[in-house]
Amino acid sequence: MKALGALSRALKNISRRKIRAFLVVVALGFSIAIMVSIPAGIMANQESMQRITENFANTITTMQEEINKTATLIECSTTPNRGMQTFRPGGFFGGFNQTFVDETIVNEIRSINVSGVMAVKEVIPFLEKSSSENISETINTPWGSRTVYRPAYTIIGVCLNATIIANYPILPTNITAGENLSEGDSGFILISSNLTSYFGANVGDAVEINGEPFVVKGIFESLSQPRTVYMNISDAQRVTGLAGKISRLYVYVSDVSLATQVADVIKAMYPELYVTSYQDRLANLQRMQEMYTQTLSNAESSIAQAQATATQIIIVAVAAAALIVFFVMLYSVRERTREIGILKAIGFSNWNVMSQFMIEGMLIGLIGGVAGVLIGSIAAPFFSSFLLPQLNLFGGTQRLQRPFQTQYPGIIGTQSYSTVALTPQLILLTLCAAAILGALGSLYPAWRASKISPIEALRYE
Amino acid sequence: MSELVLETEKLDKIYKLGGRTIRALSDINLKVEKGDFVSIMGPSGSGKTTLLNVLGCLDRPTSGKVILDGVDVTVLPEKELYKIRRYKVGFIFQTFNLLPYLSALENVELPMEGTGKSKREIRERARELLKLVGLAEREDHKPLRLSAGEQQRVAIARALANNPSIVLADEPTGNLDAKTKYEIVRLLGKLNAEHGTTIVMVTHDGAIASHARRVLFLRDGKLLEKEKMGLLAKEKLVCPACGREVQADHAFCPHCGRKL
Repeated sequence: MKALGALSRALKNISRRKIRAFLVVVALGFSIAIMVSIPAGIMANQESMQRITENFANTITTMQEEINKTATLIECSTTPNRGMQTFRPGGFFGGFNQTFVDETIVNEIRSINVSGVMAVKEVIPFLEKSSSENISETINTPWGSRTVYRPAYTIIGVCLNATIIANYPILPTNITAGENLSEGDSGFILISSNLTSYFGANVGDAVEINGEPFVVKGIFESLSQPRTVYMNISDAQRVTGLAGKISRLYVYVSDVSLATQVADVIKAMYPELYVTSYQDRLANLQRMQEMYTQTLSNAESSIAQAQATATQIIIVAVAAAALIVFFVMLYSVRERTREIGILKAIGFSNWNVMSQFMIEGMLIGLIGGVAGVLIGSIAAPFFSSFLLPQLNLFGGTQRLQRPFQTQYPGIIGTQSYSTVALTPQLILLTLCAAAILGALGSLYPAWRASKISPIEALRYE
Repeated sequence: MSELVLETEKLDKIYKLGGRTIRALSDINLKVEKGDFVSIMGPSGSGKTTLLNVLGCLDRPTSGKVILDGVDVTVLPEKELYKIRRYKVGFIFQTFNLLPYLSALENVELPMEGTGKSKREIRERARELLKLVGLAEREDHKPLRLSAGEQQRVAIARALANNPSIVLADEPTGNLDAKTKYEIVRLLGKLNAEHGTTIVMVTHDGAIASHARRVLFLRDGKLLEKEKMGLLAKEKLVCPACGREVQADHAFCPHCGRKL
């Protein structure tokens, strides 16, 4: 009853001076909003760090497995490995100059021997060529949206030989409609699912590529190869006007121990080819790992620095909030000296008077806390980006993410934006802290109030 | 009337003000019995308010004793005094001293807070008291929306909240117009006569003071030996029309208005 009475009087007293209460609550609200936004910002950054670290670890594991699985493979390409392409903002995706080599090198490579041993088990040629038509795409980034142009699709000509199809992963595996290409298929194509609307064609429909008709035999789904058309290599050479040309080779060595030597021989024989062996891929992976680790550790030290700054800012905000309550309550005690006298004359103890003012301070703190949470829930991202040092986490990892994403999409997600959000725990913590701050800020004024002599107080005008 | 509610023995109060010693109260020996209505009259500066503050445990005497309901309150520690003020004493002030942001009802409820009564009991008691002082209809009004007389009635109801042993009234009519002040002092007289409320009132107004049972005089901090009988103590008539008791000096019955 007593506490309830004190609470209801505190509320009445606060609402009695509406403008003052409003100003105090706004001032307090801002201090508390700053208090709550910074931890929210740091939490968001840490979360984002953790997500990226986890994704990265997964990516490395997957890549390692992939590399191990294809230990005997040497990739030879007329263009740099897609995985190592650098991201060029505003440019063409895959719009590098395409070059091609004669398919005669297939046999030359097949006959390489190392120390008198036939080292090559199989050579599989590919012809990859971007379509001449371009499409425009709008990409949304944290810095705004922009339009990029890219080829409408890529033609991949594969060697449709039964033994090769059966033993090597040259065709997509995830067929969602129709059938995969098989030996000797000519005049048939396999298209990625996102090309169906572009061609306006489905399984069994005819599609025209560079003026030549093809029948869609199957549709496949692949994140790493969006907008791709598979066809027989001889068809590809014909429609692209690149008779006898190829752009990529998969060279399988007969024994893993020979891979490096064979790769060296190929590099020496064909300097125009980009050759990557098991070792190169491992080295690349290691480089990536190092770069990534470096970026992460930079980001971590950024976060640590941010936390130090944040602690200082929070201390200032807490002090400001407590001071606001302190001065408001001190003024209130002065203003209500007579009331204190009355309360004492009718039998309120010192403790009753003190708790009356402390409850009032606590209530101001709590209302300020609610205002702070409301302001914070809207302005937390702004406050945290304004008050915390820029973490550069996204920018730092974007560059690294790109190649991973291209080669192993979905492993590193696209959700690496920090979302600064107030969690229920943080809100509860803030409200408690605000109430405690209010109580602390009003401690001295309340104590002073309790010590006022009733006679002096009653005489006060 | 036999039981002593309040007794003082050789009460002195000395102030030191800028090197000067002021003897506000000097050798006050006062006895107030249960059901008495004492007015203490004196000019301003005679020590009336100081005496009332000392009697009501708002201030401590320099020497002497204040015995309230058989307990010497001058030896009680500070932290015990609030209980005396809460349960034994009811204060009525010249300036009413109501909390402006509380309604009449809430002002009356205030001293009952924390006495262990339930909210409902407190509300019922406060309503009963407001009815007693004739303000049942105005319980929701804040002090600023009440007339001065009504505010003082609320203050009287508040003073009675915890059924105190004694009500101390400090110039209760000092801020009221001529008509209202008699209403208030009559209300105090009624409380004393009908409910047995023990009252000590200080005033500089002789006409008001005379409404009590006893009138004492204070001059320069000293209680004079002379004592007058107040109107309340005088013989009473019975109104032939309504049959109720009327003061002997009344020309008209205050209850039914008949000429006496």
